[in-house]
Amino acid sequence: MKNRIRVLRAEREMTQEQLAELAGVTRNTIISMEKNKYSPSLKLGYRIAHVFGVGIDEVFTYEEAIDGPSGEDDS
Amino acid sequence: MKYFSYLICTFMTACLVAAMIGWSMAAGNFLVPLIAIPLGVIVILACRKNVKEKLEDERTCRIRSKAALRTLEVIVIAGAIATVILYSYVVSSPLSPSITGKISSNADGTNSMTINLYKPGSPSLPENLVKSTSIKDINAMNESEAVEYCSYIRESYRENENRGLVGMTLGSTLVILIVTFGAFYLYYNRKY
Repeated sequence: MKNRIRVLRAEREMTQEQLAELAGVTRNTIISMEKNKYSPSLKLGYRIAHVFGVGIDEVFTYEEAIDGPSGEDDS
Repeated sequence: MKYFSYLICTFMTACLVAAMIGWSMAAGNFLVPLIAIPLGVIVILACRKNVKEKLEDERTCRIRSKAALRTLEVIVIAGAIATVILYSYVVSSPLSPSITGKISSNADGTNSMTINLYKPGSPSLPENLVKSTSIKDINAMNESEAVEYCSYIRESYRENENRGLVGMTLGSTLVILIVTFGAFYLYYNRKY
């Protein structure tokens, strides 16, 4: 799963700490997501999209080649 | 309060409660654990409430659950192997014989003792008797009598030794669990 969190955050001049606070997670979670190391749950995905005021598909992109048929990219 | 301070506070409270329980068991005061354990839990919960940082988030939960699952897998397999290896000693060389002793006073003021050794795992009945040793005067034992006497004394402390062994096993298992979980937690924390 790819995401545009870093770009959207930069556009809104938001720090990782601020986004973490608004999304109700730790800063480490935001860091991991920005590095594409961690795929969030649907609930958190929607929460982040809501913080940015955009649709979830504008934040996250599902890629079959990366995520595999089951969507399990964290083995 | 920071999360790290909370962890230190929890560890110190747990050590204090464990020390109090240990002392009370040794002193035979069984009221102390009844007070110390709930008090310890209250202190830890109060500390947890004062943590300003976010304790639980999705990623942390996932990392913890993955680390816990891997720890369980490793410990179950390693524990099963260790159990079979260690228990095979009991099967291959059976249980130790049971030893009983009886002290009686003699007419000349000395104390004599009879030490009986019974078949392993059998009740202390005459038909199971393997060896009987009489010590005429326990204040003037010869070498072989002293060896028998030591075996008897040791037998009387065996129960305490066994309890200590179980305690050490539980303690070691706890340490292994914490270390394994910590290792997996660090691994997944780096991975995600």
